[in-house]
Amino acid sequence: MNDAALFKNLYRYDGSTEGLLSAVSHILRHEEDPESIELRQQEGTLFSEGVFIATDPVRADELIERFSKRFPHNARDLLYCIYAEREGMETPLLHYIHLVARHGAGVRAYLTHPDVHAVQSLAKKVGREVHRFKGLLRFSMLEDGSYLAQMEPDFNIIQPVSRFFTRRLGDQNWFIYDVKRSLVSRWDRSALEFGTLESFHTPEFSAEEHEVRALWKTFFRHVSIPDRKNERLQKSNMPMKYWKYLIEKS
Amino acid sequence: METLEKLQVLAGSARYDASCASSGSTRSGGKASLGHASQGGICHSWSDDGRCISLLKVLLSNDCSYDCAYCVNRRSNPVQRTSFEVQELVDLTISFYRRNYIEGLFLSSAVLKNPDHTMERMVGVVRKLRQEERFAGYIHMKVIPGSSQELVGEAGLFADRVSVNIELPSGSSLNLLAPQKDKQSILTPMAFLGETIGNSLMERRKNPKAPRFSPAGQSTQMIIGASPESDLQILRLSQGLYRTMNLKRVYYSAFVPLTSDNRLPVLVTPPLQREHRLYQADWLLRNYGFNAEEILSDDYPFLEERIDPKAAWALRHPEFFPVDLNRAEYAMLLRVPGIGVTSARRIVSARRFAVLTPEGLKKIGVVMKRARFFIALSGRSVEKLHDRPSLIFRKLLAAENQPQKTTIKQRQLTLPGLE
Repeated sequence: MNDAALFKNLYRYDGSTEGLLSAVSHILRHEEDPESIELRQQEGTLFSEGVFIATDPVRADELIERFSKRFPHNARDLLYCIYAEREGMETPLLHYIHLVARHGAGVRAYLTHPDVHAVQSLAKKVGREVHRFKGLLRFSMLEDGSYLAQMEPDFNIIQPVSRFFTRRLGDQNWFIYDVKRSLVSRWDRSALEFGTLESFHTPEFSAEEHEVRALWKTFFRHVSIPDRKNERLQKSNMPMKYWKYLIEKS
Repeated sequence: METLEKLQVLAGSARYDASCASSGSTRSGGKASLGHASQGGICHSWSDDGRCISLLKVLLSNDCSYDCAYCVNRRSNPVQRTSFEVQELVDLTISFYRRNYIEGLFLSSAVLKNPDHTMERMVGVVRKLRQEERFAGYIHMKVIPGSSQELVGEAGLFADRVSVNIELPSGSSLNLLAPQKDKQSILTPMAFLGETIGNSLMERRKNPKAPRFSPAGQSTQMIIGASPESDLQILRLSQGLYRTMNLKRVYYSAFVPLTSDNRLPVLVTPPLQREHRLYQADWLLRNYGFNAEEILSDDYPFLEERIDPKAAWALRHPEFFPVDLNRAEYAMLLRVPGIGVTSARRIVSARRFAVLTPEGLKKIGVVMKRARFFIALSGRSVEKLHDRPSLIFRKLLAAENQPQKTTIKQRQLTLPGLE
């Protein structure tokens, strides 16, 4: 394939989620063979090859809404891949959405297709981290009685994690803070809000917090059977990258 | 005694209960409430022995009036005795749950005074959690053998899972090692639970608002290696329990020698590898359509410790292989070593789109280092060794043993008493 032919099949978008969805929507409407199309993020250079598709929030919303309604499971794969914020996933996502639109939800089982496999396995990794944080996130009680949890996940999963805790810890005020991305979510017993933080000072914990932490550490130490000690298994189930905010491990 | 000290004692004596599952139940307290249980279960931490911590696993009391030889809490063992107050344990559960340390409570107990007295206090804890604190997290409760049926029935209404430990795989071992317990006091509540759980499920099919009874089912636990039963006897017992008692899981707990008693065998280390193989065989019973007599026979009453029970079965039955993955039906796929429930399902759906190839199988998740000796793709065997089980056995060992050897070595280094 020569360069000209290559550029003809290349589209660009501005790097935002909405931009990505706008471009996918455009390609699905205007291209006859989306499987031959490549989609990449716009580069900073003045002249970059490929056709740039401007972001159109209306089209993006429309696409995601129709897709979620008809194919809820596939929409979850799509969303999780977006949370992964991984470069180079645009083309597999485009092809995946196209395949689902053409063949239906059952495409999830077509694991031998490289793009389906790429999307599914990335979505699975993100899903696994979401699941891990449902268990590993630790809340601490502040002086005013509200709770704060800090985390540094690999993927940008503050949204699904926060939504989970609105159902679980519904009757307490809490914050979840993604330290790496400076993102924060807040639950006030009725509504969930997301935002970004400019600066962060660790607030004072309540007196009760210190007591409960000591109790938890004690429990953690004594629930383990000394004759079965197996740190390798412990680390493989609970990788050390998550230990920083675990009370029982710090 | 302070709560902290009590927790030390009562968590330390509850740790020999293997079950920590928090799955199988969905529960929600409604809007802006505390707690919910999720179907798949969630692990919150992993202790230094590598086991998952999902529930606050404690005894209500370790002040036991029984004297079971295998148990750390038996009356003749000189350990510190203590009990939680009802409110104390309720507060502890809630404050752990609010910080997302735990998925809920696992409540067991030694026999404090008598079975009914103990069971009443245990039910008191879960009643308070559910009715006063409106706690909708997961609760697993143990039945004290010999307690009244009314109390067991009440426990089932509050807890997500209620279970009775069978402790030892035969009535005679129970008589020898746990003279105050008898087979009937264990099997009666188990049968009662099985029946009530079944009835409640049927009732709720007709009327979704009918009360739930132990919605995550019941489980049990037996101790492996404290008594002379063979693996075949153990698997037959488990199979019988699954078939007749509506049981979700049987847990096997490698016997940890905590005491010298001339009724007990002398073990250097807990039989962890045997426990591991029993769990694998148990999986075959529940999810793979095997029965105990296929896995073992009177001529081979113990599981092969070097390879997994499914591979061992496959080597004894070369007439079943190779299995053609592009044609074979689901039940047959499940019998192939290296193919699990997930990959068997994926194979069935993936071959609707395209013919399967060895590369495709890897993507699907088939463990090729085991499966390769037993499969064919569109009429062609992947490895032509089906008629030579002994050679396959050696190759399987070579493929598996690298990591396994190191784990066994590590285990032998951590002898009790040396730490």
